[in-house]
Amino acid sequence: MSLVSAAFLAFVALTALIYYLVPGGARRWVLLAASLAFCASCGFYSLVFVLLAAVTTFIGGLLCGPSKSRGLRNAAAVITVVLNLGILCAVRFYGVIGLFAERLNNVFGATGSTRTFMLYAVPVGMAFYTLQLIGYTLDCRWEKIAPEKNFFRYLLFATYFPYFTSGPMNSYAALSVKLDGSKDARLTLGRVRDSAIRIAWGFFKKLVIADRIAVVVNTIYGNHESYCGLYVFIGAACFAIQLYADFSGCMEVVLGASHLLGIEMPENFNSPFLAHTIREYWQRWHITLGGWLRDYLFYPMLRTSLFVKIGDGAKKLFGKKRGKKVPVYFALIILWAAVGYWHGGLMKYVIGTGLLHCFYIILGELVEPVSVKLRKKLHSEKWPYKVFQTARTFFLICLGHIFFRAANVPDALAMYRAIFQPFAIDGEWIASLGLDTSNLIVLLIAFALLVAVDVYKYREKQEEEPRLILAKLNEKPMAVSWAVFMILLITVLIFGLYGLGYDSGAFIYARI
Amino acid sequence: MTREEVFAKLNEIFQDVFDDEDINVNETTTAADVDGWDSLEHINLLVAIERGFGIRFTMGETTGLKNVGEMVDKIISHLG
Repeated sequence: MSLVSAAFLAFVALTALIYYLVPGGARRWVLLAASLAFCASCGFYSLVFVLLAAVTTFIGGLLCGPSKSRGLRNAAAVITVVLNLGILCAVRFYGVIGLFAERLNNVFGATGSTRTFMLYAVPVGMAFYTLQLIGYTLDCRWEKIAPEKNFFRYLLFATYFPYFTSGPMNSYAALSVKLDGSKDARLTLGRVRDSAIRIAWGFFKKLVIADRIAVVVNTIYGNHESYCGLYVFIGAACFAIQLYADFSGCMEVVLGASHLLGIEMPENFNSPFLAHTIREYWQRWHITLGGWLRDYLFYPMLRTSLFVKIGDGAKKLFGKKRGKKVPVYFALIILWAAVGYWHGGLMKYVIGTGLLHCFYIILGELVEPVSVKLRKKLHSEKWPYKVFQTARTFFLICLGHIFFRAANVPDALAMYRAIFQPFAIDGEWIASLGLDTSNLIVLLIAFALLVAVDVYKYREKQEEEPRLILAKLNEKPMAVSWAVFMILLITVLIFGLYGLGYDSGAFIYARI
Repeated sequence: MTREEVFAKLNEIFQDVFDDEDINVNETTTAADVDGWDSLEHINLLVAIERGFGIRFTMGETTGLKNVGEMVDKIISHLG
């Protein structure tokens, strides 16, 4: 079930209706039933795989409890992590179809055209729930939390339908408390209004911006040999905007639906394209993935005896100050390779969303002494330099996106080469992007609105809470909020590229 | 090891990790009070403490510490 569909809206509304009608204590069961139904609607194999992950990580967590012997706890943690990551990597590498379909097709005696019925085998959301559930087992092993003893409580955490397809990733300590609090949630008009606006804004981002700009992206990337120079950048920038509108739109729907149920999940985006550096960008883009990798991979890796030894050796070689950065660089390379691999099992992802960003960050660290002097001379505290930093960061991200969106590494490299070929912007250039003028105007206005909202939200200091439009609207009379909702709704209905009846393309991150 | 002795040794570790001989930590010192004590340097600090005291923290123990006083509590509980 796509999150941008009338079916999903009806599903959320029906779930919320039953949820608020039943006594507080029964709400968990309503959520569990709805979540399992949602997982099943994503395909039989999606349900099977999430149940497998839930059972194994739950047992792993129990065996990691403090009452067990150290050897057993270590073994349980290692086996659980290897098993679940192994399944994820196997699915990445071969595809579930390759793993099972042929055999099952044979078992079921499917022949001819019916042999394709296993196409639905690709498990939705696996990249998200696998990490979230592994995190639970590791939390038990590291004594951050006590193992959950009630499997059904845990199963709700594993399958909670708003997060299931695309995150955000939650820790058990945080989400379980909120799921427990569901018994006290109250349905108010304010809650309905806030959820409705958020979901409508998500639909707007997806249907008005992402699906429209996708036409430009598909035109350029689908026929990249015909485009060179500035057009390659237009394609890369459009894909960056598509990806952002798509994924953050998905998050608006997810968080809006969860808010309706009184269960708040963490935000995943905080005006990422206004970041001044690549490091800051990753603190604002897909925040919960970054947090997961930091807590469960990067920091634990730096504390292993291997990395401590690398640090000791490097300090002898390069001196204390420089030497202690060496293990950090090694850990960063592994971390970013993992980020790239997580985005898809292909080398184009490992480069475009992983190692290239690692290169940016390490290079930035190495030239920092020069940068400090340069920033002083260029008055970095003033706005022109900050605008330059934002533009530079966006440009570097776009370079990575050429790999992300291109069909493969050779295509991406060909597009890089095409940047340096001569090009002309003539009267036909707009038409060559695949959108007619009216659609381009709609896109530009919608994009301007997205930028305005992000600029309003943006706070330079990340420890400060972003300014929220919803909070601002709540200061106004209720009628203003409902008017905003109606305007969004009508805009989506009229300018949503294919309207609500259209089965919009799946969210990009739901396919990860 | 008394609490005072733990503090004295811990102070040496802080001075070494942050390369600052003027550091003088006490019960209420937090990351905001020490220049350069960010999350990455926190890892280096933990490794140095583990090595200096011959102990091993669990990952759970290393998050959510409010101040150096709580850190000393953890160290003493391991030494005990």
